[in-house]
Amino acid sequence: MSALRDGSDDPLGTVEGVAKVVAVEGGVAICEPEPTGTCGGCMSAALCGVKSGGTNRRAVARRFSLPNDFGLKVGDRVVVGIPQATLLKGAALAYALPVVLMLVAAVVAQRLGDGGNGDAAWGGLGGFLVGLAVARLLANRMQARGELAPNFLRRALGPAPGSECGLD
Amino acid sequence: MQHLVLLIVAAALVNNVILARFLGLCSFMGVTTKIDTAAGMGMACTFVITVSSIADWALEKFLLMPYDLTYLRTVTFILVIAAAVQFTEMVIRKVSPTLFKTLGIYLPLITTNCAVLGVALLLVEEKLDLVESTLFAFASSLGYSLVMVIFAGLRERVALADVPRLFAGPPIGFITASLLALAFMGFSGMSAN
Repeated sequence: MSALRDGSDDPLGTVEGVAKVVAVEGGVAICEPEPTGTCGGCMSAALCGVKSGGTNRRAVARRFSLPNDFGLKVGDRVVVGIPQATLLKGAALAYALPVVLMLVAAVVAQRLGDGGNGDAAWGGLGGFLVGLAVARLLANRMQARGELAPNFLRRALGPAPGSECGLD
Repeated sequence: MQHLVLLIVAAALVNNVILARFLGLCSFMGVTTKIDTAAGMGMACTFVITVSSIADWALEKFLLMPYDLTYLRTVTFILVIAAAVQFTEMVIRKVSPTLFKTLGIYLPLITTNCAVLGVALLLVEEKLDLVESTLFAFASSLGYSLVMVIFAGLRERVALADVPRLFAGPPIGFITASLLALAFMGFSGMSAN
């Protein structure tokens, strides 16, 4: 099972999360990330779709697939993980790179131009677009290497958040 | 160039968004239990604060000020921030759907982060040009990210310490935050800004 990694090779460890299997297609299980117990109590829960039971567009967009080497069935809950270093690398790629390139390009354009806001704006826009293109390229490379895919760690035990605890 | 460096240092350290201006405290306490989530949130916030500040600066300069509509500033800026978050989400989804699946959770939380609105309103007060505004916003959000990561690191260590039962959890978190704020007060003499 190539996707099974416990993060022991990653000095920072693994970020774990619980997901629910919503479909099984051939040898692939489609999973949907499950909100954490306190997630539904957040004031922004309605925004990220937690309170709608995970059936909205945002929840569907966050679905991912896992190789179904463990006989997973619809409704099973699994613990998936992604190395912390990968998460940080992904965040830097998506958020930091375009903004840093935009800033650098804006400052350079203003210095090289007449010092006005117009040069800075066009330079910044160019830098931002270049940053997005580079981020896309690097993200595709990471994806091709399978770095961005969550890995199956183990089956999740216990009730899902918000379900009956069975103690009545 | 020197004044740009001073602007960055002042925005990131001396007038830190969290520890000097006390903005974004909800995410400061809520998303700092682990370093990786704090860093992810910090980077997402950096992106949104910088992008929305540019849009806010343009709206302020070309719409609100010329037409004397400054009383609509707060509402306008909130709309811009919400739009910036949606835009960011669309861009990340387009650039890499896999990255979106990994990082998408942070984005909706930023809409309600008062640090984003706070930085935009501070920009207006400072009356800066485009590059200065962008650098100010970037440096402010860099300061935000820095404090988030430092605090998350401290909390991870405190979680392993033998804390008295009554202080465990949020109380020791607040005490740690106050000590961190005292440490950042050491920067206060560095710049006239």
